Amino acid sequence: MPPASRTLGRRDFVLLGLCLAAGIAALGLPDTTRDAIAGALRRSVLAPLLSLQHQAELTREAMRDRSAAVLVADSLRIRALAVPALESENARLRRMLGLGQRLRWGFAPAEVLLGKGVTEEYTVTLSVGSAAGVRKLSPVVAAEGLVGIVKSVDPTISTAILWAHPDFRASAMASDGSVYGIVAAHPGADPERFLLEMRGVPMRSAIPKGTLIVTSGLGGTFPRGIPVGVVLTELRTNELWARTYLLRPAVSPTDLSSVMVLMPDRGKEGVEPVWKDVGHDTAVRASAAPAAPGAGAPAAPAPDSAAAAQHLADSLAADSVRRARRRHRRDSLTAVADSALARGDTALADSVRKLLLPRKRPPAADSARPVTP
Amino acid sequence: MKPRTALGTAFAFVVLVLLQYTLRPLLGWPLGPDFLLMAVVVASVRVRPGTAAVIGLLVGLVADSIGTDPFGASALAFTVVGFAASWVQGSVFADDLTVDFLLFFAGEWVYSAIFLFAARTSSAAPILAPLLVWAPVRALVTALFGVATLAILRPVLRPASAS
Repeated sequence: MPPASRTLGRRDFVLLGLCLAAGIAALGLPDTTRDAIAGALRRSVLAPLLSLQHQAELTREAMRDRSAAVLVADSLRIRALAVPALESENARLRRMLGLGQRLRWGFAPAEVLLGKGVTEEYTVTLSVGSAAGVRKLSPVVAAEGLVGIVKSVDPTISTAILWAHPDFRASAMASDGSVYGIVAAHPGADPERFLLEMRGVPMRSAIPKGTLIVTSGLGGTFPRGIPVGVVLTELRTNELWARTYLLRPAVSPTDLSSVMVLMPDRGKEGVEPVWKDVGHDTAVRASAAPAAPGAGAPAAPAPDSAAAAQHLADSLAADSVRRARRRHRRDSLTAVADSALARGDTALADSVRKLLLPRKRPPAADSARPVTP
Repeated sequence: MKPRTALGTAFAFVVLVLLQYTLRPLLGWPLGPDFLLMAVVVASVRVRPGTAAVIGLLVGLVADSIGTDPFGASALAFTVVGFAASWVQGSVFADDLTVDFLLFFAGEWVYSAIFLFAARTSSAAPILAPLLVWAPVRALVTALFGVATLAILRPVLRPASAS
């Protein structure tokens, strides 16, 4: 700022005094007079400034709201990213529920506690042990088919090897029982490492692509009829007396979070209808698709796959409705019995209570005990 | 004052007043810069002290009318600041950014002190903490913004003979 050569004169002091007097007088004005003066100024010469101030504050609010909106949108995006995983888990749990209802007894539901890469790539830890009835060499299954076999058992946890483990072997057959062989992990490099081989198939027997392979029940370790995989192609080997087929596994290794361990007694009774009744082709093909991309063309979907899936969904929905009706009926009867008891009508209360007694039903779906005749 | 200098000063004055009611609400800082004080100081150092006092009184009345503070407090404070800035600038200091910084800083602090005393409604109202803690901080912010604004407006404010 440029300096201004000036000295204080009488005029300056007079103006200063007047201004100070005006300021002090403004301070001492009554409220009504102050408000009247301020209001008149606001409505006239200061109106544009007030409008500017208002617009600036609105702009600031808009900027702040936009930041909040961006935060909300980001949160929603993050949540949306988790939706496919939740849907997948929901579908998987529904399938497990369906499997439990079909097995009815003789299994222990388990969570896969440690996945691949934590200890061994093809070994998992299960959340159930001998206390729940799990035994060594118990089959581990999922809604889609065979997962592996229990290797060691502790009271509360157990260890299982997956079908991809080099030591895994299972006697298997074509779903129509025409051809038998031994299923083992395919010893290739990724992604073929997560495929299966069916070895020892007689030369005279050819298995067409897309054929479902299930456990044969031979040897007694695995009960007959658990889906293992689908034939992709025949492998060329040096063996002249047997064929080897490449299989797409029924259970994807990426879907291992909830499994079921079959009890020995349940295996002896047989589980063949469990997977056959629900159109296991659907489950096998649906789950097998992401297992090994590029390893071969996926099998063509069965014509009845959509119908089977719809049937499964309908049966689950019907079960929910039946449970809700039973609960409603039980609550209503309990209310009637309580009311009768309050009135002193013990006969009515007793008769109603008889209706509330549980009927003799098969054990619950998640029970590990066999049905006692 | 030369016409061009007067025009430049008036332009800077208007810009600073507009900034008070646009940029300051936009920033939303509790201790934001006081552009009205900058306007008073910028105009005051170019006019006689008596005129500076009148400018301070008018700007103070504007501030009192728009704000919620006691009517007249700002008018009184700006009157003193304008008069003092004009007298101090003309009598003691030369033209320098450091001097400008000190003028803005001292002006804002003096303004806060007078305003606090003038707007004091009761003897129990706290005055030390606002005067010794918040007022210096606000004065510092105002001084920094003032120097920056002067640097931007220097081509307008510089007299024609100097450019």
